[in-house]
Amino acid sequence: MAPRREVIVPSVRTLDAGSSFGQAVSTVVRGGDFLFVCGLSAVDARSGERVRGTTASETRQILINLKQLLEAAGSSLDKVVKVNVLLHSMLEAPNMNEVYASFFPDPPPARTVCGARLPDGAKVIIECTALA
Amino acid sequence: MIEKLPRSVVEPKNPRLNASRRANLPHVPGIRVGDYIFLSGMTPIDPQTGERNHGPIAEQIRTTLSNMQHMLESAGSSLERVVRVHVVLADISHMAEMDRVYREFFPVDPPARTAWSMQLRFGNGCEIECVALAN
Repeated sequence: MAPRREVIVPSVRTLDAGSSFGQAVSTVVRGGDFLFVCGLSAVDARSGERVRGTTASETRQILINLKQLLEAAGSSLDKVVKVNVLLHSMLEAPNMNEVYASFFPDPPPARTVCGARLPDGAKVIIECTALA
Repeated sequence: MIEKLPRSVVEPKNPRLNASRRANLPHVPGIRVGDYIFLSGMTPIDPQTGERNHGPIAEQIRTTLSNMQHMLESAGSSLERVVRVHVVLADISHMAEMDRVYREFFPVDPPARTAWSMQLRFGNGCEIECVALAN
């Protein structure tokens, strides 16, 4: 039987990255036993506006939102298997790590971090794949 | 006892779109394993000539996504079955133009997407990879 594909619209609509910013992106897609979460940049869950701060503060905001998105979809940070972190500068990796470590269980998920040019002035973008 | 998942190579029906084989690179265009299809990063290759198409960015995105559609359909899947996309642009200022063309290919319930910019090879303006569900 073909595995199920389902777009999961966040119950907190301000966290729906695609519709908030008019992009052709679904925030969370379920495919089979996995949830695929799009690259998240820092957004204020109350206003739905982008927030731009330090690498540490953007990381914290993204992971708070990611936790909420996963839990609303019936998953959690404990069920994340792979994370990709994009940073505007690799010199900021220690600042991201310090915040990041406090959100994940021990052992944390597999992860890749790389430096890249990010859209809309973001300092951090985080995406993940989790068990549904 | 864990059953071993079958793993097979995804080949485009149009051999001109097998960019890695044509350039003798050590990767395949895609792998199907269990219910999932993982495609390599795809670039704007003209399906008629097999040559790189370095026209305007809109054209490069359109060519790359049509090739992705061909690749998925060759594997019995489709763009509607894509769950995750990575779009890499050579130039971050092309983000809005990319999204404009991209949505033609994913008009409803688009995949989870992450887009950023970094250095690309061969002068390509974009490189796009995806994970899709098999049918």
